[in-house]
Amino acid sequence: MSTLLQLTDIRRDFGGVHAVDGVSLEIEEGTIFGLIGPNGAGKTTLVNVVTGYIRSQGGSIRLTSKGGTAEVARRPPHAIAGLGIARTFQTLRLYRNLTAIENVLIGMHTRRRDDTLRQMLPLRALMRLDDRRFGEARGLLQTVGLNPDLHGDRRASTLSYGDQRRVEVARALALKPKLLILDEPAAGMNPAEKDRVRELIQQLNEGRLTVLLIDHDMRLVMGVCKRIAVLNFGRKIADGSPASVSDDPAVVTAYLGSAASKTSSHVPGSEEMDLAATSKPAAAVEPAAALLDIRDLEVAYGAIKAVRGVSFRVGKGEVVALIGANGAGKSTILNTLSGVLRPQAGIARFGEIDLTTAAPDKIVRAGLAQVPEGREILARLTVRENMELGAWARRDRGAAHREIDDLMKQFPILGQRHNLPAGQLSGGEQQILAIARGLLAHPKLLLLDEPSLGLAPQMVDTVFEVIKRIQREGVTILLVEQNALRALEIADRAYVVETGRILLSGTGAALRRNPEVQKAYLGG
Amino acid sequence: MDFFIQLFTDPVGFYNQHELLIAQIGINAILAIAIFVTFYSGQLTLANAGFMAIGAYTTVIMSLYLPTPLPLNMLVGALLAGLVSVLVGLPVLRLRGVFLAIATIGFVEALRLGVILNLPITGEGQGLHNPTADPLGGIVPILISLPILAYLVWRLTKSRLGQAWSAIREDELAASSNGINVPLYKMIAFIISAVLAGYAGALETHINFFVDPTEYGIGRTIQILTFAVVGGTTNVFGPIVGAVFLTALPEIVRMFAAYRDVVNGIILILIIIFRPQGIVGRGGLAIIRPRWWIRWRTREHAATAH
Repeated sequence: MSTLLQLTDIRRDFGGVHAVDGVSLEIEEGTIFGLIGPNGAGKTTLVNVVTGYIRSQGGSIRLTSKGGTAEVARRPPHAIAGLGIARTFQTLRLYRNLTAIENVLIGMHTRRRDDTLRQMLPLRALMRLDDRRFGEARGLLQTVGLNPDLHGDRRASTLSYGDQRRVEVARALALKPKLLILDEPAAGMNPAEKDRVRELIQQLNEGRLTVLLIDHDMRLVMGVCKRIAVLNFGRKIADGSPASVSDDPAVVTAYLGSAASKTSSHVPGSEEMDLAATSKPAAAVEPAAALLDIRDLEVAYGAIKAVRGVSFRVGKGEVVALIGANGAGKSTILNTLSGVLRPQAGIARFGEIDLTTAAPDKIVRAGLAQVPEGREILARLTVRENMELGAWARRDRGAAHREIDDLMKQFPILGQRHNLPAGQLSGGEQQILAIARGLLAHPKLLLLDEPSLGLAPQMVDTVFEVIKRIQREGVTILLVEQNALRALEIADRAYVVETGRILLSGTGAALRRNPEVQKAYLGG
Repeated sequence: MDFFIQLFTDPVGFYNQHELLIAQIGINAILAIAIFVTFYSGQLTLANAGFMAIGAYTTVIMSLYLPTPLPLNMLVGALLAGLVSVLVGLPVLRLRGVFLAIATIGFVEALRLGVILNLPITGEGQGLHNPTADPLGGIVPILISLPILAYLVWRLTKSRLGQAWSAIREDELAASSNGINVPLYKMIAFIISAVLAGYAGALETHINFFVDPTEYGIGRTIQILTFAVVGGTTNVFGPIVGAVFLTALPEIVRMFAAYRDVVNGIILILIIIFRPQGIVGRGGLAIIRPRWWIRWRTREHAATAH
């Protein structure tokens, strides 16, 4: 096997932080190469350097193929794509208003000669090339598991999240790449969907395609990759076969924190659980005096009913979790409570306030604050400026500034970085910033939407410890999580949401032992 | 109303009576095509009035001082606009959104103050008399050019180039990951747009005896922009419809002729609120309702339900 891509001593700093600090890698032709590491380890920065979105400050990247060897570093992104390196993005970047087929057709750009003149005379006889290309695009959609008749002519933004991910892979494949880089292709997917992603990667690799896979899910990476490199703090700490990497003590420490203090259920990706207890969930004792009282809530997006008659209560001082798969309606419920969405029917009361009609700013002033999914940090502002914006609506500026200083001390991760643009924080650090910002509104009830989304397990621990600490300080928390296992660990009570309805409810501990829950959401 | 009755009962008489209006509609439609090309590639450029001026002045000055035939003068005017667009585009096209809009307005103003109002050859703000103007004959090249240009640009959007523009408009970052040379394709759109605007400027001088320096300011640029916004930019026919509609409007509602700009402004606001994709947009003639409207309706329903 020959080396396809060789990285030598790649370096990239951001404002004094060594995001990538002298990384060297060799990716062999025809392999599936895994790149893993905790959040903020520099994985995405490295991918952005290889694909030209971020300039490297040192080192070389060589792509060797039949056509010879080319230096990749310091070329613009489109030229690197032209060399045969295709990628997908961690956050979906489809052409949202174009159809799935059009997305794939644009992916063929580098393989297509300019046809401006020919297009001026659209005669049937001259259109054979277009037909062939169209057929190829349909074939690529089939390759990634989509039905071109069903999905091909739909606008990308109307497809489900999983299908959009597939279109993005098909678009990258349209380049006929020598190397395909997948940046967290399974982010936000449930175990069954992740299995399909794994099958897809294996199937692509059988066609001799070299794949570089970046993901947090160890089960996915370990299961599919032939070789794995581990990054931590911008440096490569291990490189080898899946087995040798997972036994490497440096990797275990980097990924899991101190291994000794963790139970087996913390092994990232392995979502096994204690199956001994299979008792029925204790009926959750709903508090009589509820801080938040939801009854028969119905929310629709146009014709699609996302929430169909949901009722639940949150008592003062509780941590209540809503768990369930992607698209179950969890975020819709939260967005309705914070006044961003309006329900079609139902009652939602928060203390004295009717959440179905009150304006969002009034809801916030009454003490209900939301930390949205995806965090919504203002990337160009510094950490401190982001915090100051959180206190913007408050009249007591002096007190607010003192509180910001206090929070900086409470969360040293933020204090140390208070002058750094928030966009340069890792995902977990941004999540903590978002939570701290939410606290500045003095919430009685804090809504947290997917706080663990896209975070490495070690960082998830930190975020969940922050959540517990906030609870101890008297803030009630309503938590929406796809990571059901972790959410149930800290929740007093939880509700399982499926297709807009509440399927089960119970105490966190009882639901953890419920076999139905394990089967449906934990992949057990 | 007479306007429409005559259009259907006596088209020849209509044509003779409204020849200048029809010519103006044609010119504005070509300008609408020009701004469509940059819109389609995701760029908000407002330089079209400047390129128009270059086309207009070049054509007239050549007619005044050189023995060259008029079609050649027009062609040179359009191409010179394209050449200037390269010089303007190189520094300016790195900008996006509102910054690009401001920078291109800056170009229009610099051209107006520095060249049109200042140089002896452009009449130092007095304007130029056009000896070759032919108001009645001038309409012919306009009416011939418009469908041809509309067709060519429509086909262009179907080509590899047009697909690259779509990709850039939707997501520049993703476009470059698909191997699309984003700066190059933006520049091509900018140049094509400038040549079209220059050509429209050259055509316009041919129906007027006088090149009026006040024609080529920000006002004209904004007018062209409203063609695109009102008509919609999903395909090339949107801005054309916008241009036809807005140019003919003062004739249709004669009683408001004095308030032409007020009516234009109100229409623009209504379109932006109720139909942000323009008259000709994706999704047929559906109307997008603003959020307060939906909220108001649901509240009404809730009130009647109780």
